[in-house]
Amino acid sequence: MNEEVLIKVESVSKKFSKDLKKSLYFGLLDVFSGVIGSTKKRELRGDEFWAVKEVCFEVKRGECLGLIGHNGAGKSTLLKMLNGLILPDAGSVTMKGKVGALIELGAGFNPILTGRENIYNNAAVIGFTKKEIDAKFDSIIEFSEIGEFLDMPVQNYSSGMKVRLGFAIAAQMEPDILIIDEVLAVGDLGFKIKCMNRIQELLKKTAFIFVSHAMTQISTICTNLILMDHGKVEYNGNDIGIGIEQYFLKFKNTEQQIISSSNISLKSIELKGNDSVKKNELSIFSGDSLTVIFELALEKGIENLKFRLGIFNLEYRLLAEVDSEQVDFTASNKNGIVKVSVVVEKLFLRNGKYNLHLHVMNRDSKQIMLRQSNVAEFFVKPTLSVGADFLLPSKWSDANE
Amino acid sequence: MIFQTKIYKSASSYSAFTLLKESFSGYRESFYLARQLAKRDIRAQYRQSILGIFWAFAPVLMSASVWIFLNLTGTIQVSKTPIPYPLFVVIGTTLWSVFGECLLMSISSVNANKSIITKINFQKEALVTLGAIKLLFNLLIKLALIIGLMLVYNMPVSLSVIWFIPLLLISMLALISVGIFLTPFAILYHDITRVIPIIMQILMYLTPVVYAAPKSGFMKSIMYLNPLTHIINGLRNTLTGYPVEHGFFLLIFALCTILFSLLAMIVYRISMPIITERMSA
Repeated sequence: MNEEVLIKVESVSKKFSKDLKKSLYFGLLDVFSGVIGSTKKRELRGDEFWAVKEVCFEVKRGECLGLIGHNGAGKSTLLKMLNGLILPDAGSVTMKGKVGALIELGAGFNPILTGRENIYNNAAVIGFTKKEIDAKFDSIIEFSEIGEFLDMPVQNYSSGMKVRLGFAIAAQMEPDILIIDEVLAVGDLGFKIKCMNRIQELLKKTAFIFVSHAMTQISTICTNLILMDHGKVEYNGNDIGIGIEQYFLKFKNTEQQIISSSNISLKSIELKGNDSVKKNELSIFSGDSLTVIFELALEKGIENLKFRLGIFNLEYRLLAEVDSEQVDFTASNKNGIVKVSVVVEKLFLRNGKYNLHLHVMNRDSKQIMLRQSNVAEFFVKPTLSVGADFLLPSKWSDANE
Repeated sequence: MIFQTKIYKSASSYSAFTLLKESFSGYRESFYLARQLAKRDIRAQYRQSILGIFWAFAPVLMSASVWIFLNLTGTIQVSKTPIPYPLFVVIGTTLWSVFGECLLMSISSVNANKSIITKINFQKEALVTLGAIKLLFNLLIKLALIIGLMLVYNMPVSLSVIWFIPLLLISMLALISVGIFLTPFAILYHDITRVIPIIMQILMYLTPVVYAAPKSGFMKSIMYLNPLTHIINGLRNTLTGYPVEHGFFLLIFALCTILFSLLAMIVYRISMPIITERMSA
């Protein structure tokens, strides 16, 4: 049972036109050629481009395929083809079983009507029959936790409430294929947990396609990953970590933001790894130490400084910090030059690219003197592929007596 | 549960017969959805209104009373009508407004539901059914108006009235089919939606809607050549107990309508995925 292929995508391509007028005109031509049943191979016309180009993959029941890529990489177009909203220009998509697509929640709601009435509207739109809705009505209400507001017009609902109601209805689906396109970004934490639980429940029984920009979700749920760029598949495999890394490396983030209040500037910075060899692009292993040596130029006489280094990952999330105040360190000012070396010990980061941000504060005046982003970057080489940000050292022993 | 396998390929790889079969099953499968959405639209429409269904026949009543006023005051002399002029005008304008609604029905139905078309996979035939249900709902209100007025004028009811409903339905089907046929083009180019009311207005004056065809002259030949003349006269005659003229023409018309409606269904089926691509959500 678990080996059945439910989704089969064979060299699927789709083209779009950049210009509206041309797009409309080509649409007209497509309608005509569709009506007369032309079987001519579709080539690019005028300013068209391939939004999706020769994509192939398969998803079996019980598998989860993550789909990532920057905005406009062709993810949504691919999903629309999987969902049968638009047809491919070449290739074919085979979908076996009932498809549940959570691309938009609460489709078909009318703002004037009450939540109760709209349950029927939305459920009908996503493919329930009257009998099914009647049977599931109570569980929808219970899941949504809308309670007393059920008979209020939906236009007075908060956006979170609308999504709750929408998801509560969609969650009643029992699909063989589930497609989710970043709908879980809204709603409060409690509801998010509820959604994830419901999805986990469905996960075992379905072939699942999941589009998200939240890499933590991708790495916890997905068994396979496809990275798309400009309509093409750049990575297709089951090592989620490698795919995500490849995706992050697409974003160049070397621009520096500098906020400084007085005549202070960063003159130089260098990084060293365990082997004590300076490199432009430093690579270390998880668990290695990192030495940062930086030189600041500032007014003579200012001595009582505090330094802080922040380590950011490519998602621009602050993962860890080191602070000189923790060990009550002050640097000496030699003719307007302050040179500091700091060893960050045992960086148990998972593999990836990291950036350093530097803060300098005057401990006397409590003023931030310098705040500079992306002062340096380093790689952590891949060891074990993990979903979390840290792979902590651990001791394992046999506790069987 | 039936385990459905769906294969999506480029549109050109289907035969007309398959498309037609799919279209029919699309109508069948999506009937509940269409009914639900029609209920939604009608409820929402009347919930935020005080006068409610009055607005279904107010425009017709307004334009009819203008013509009745013009005729009563002698501003405009129209050819003599076989039935009382006010009744003639009200039936004419009502039918004409129904025709106009039929023509624009599927275009406005698709336009109003763009947001779900671009997001959800459902049988798009539901939108046609949805429009048709709303149309029938309005039609019933308007027919009630006509029947009320006929009672006021004490019109005798003859057997020919049984032809009224089939003839009305077939003419509505004809205009709906033209509308469905035009829908993909109207979604792509908004010009079509703009030009339809203008054409309908011009056609109204070339058809015996607010006045009967003159006995002689240029206008008589134009009206005679205009197929809508025979349809609207046929409808009015069956309703008011006069015999149907040009029965043979109406039969041919019915046959052509059925064939054309099948063509329109195929065009709609083919074009929906294509225009979905070019729609904004």
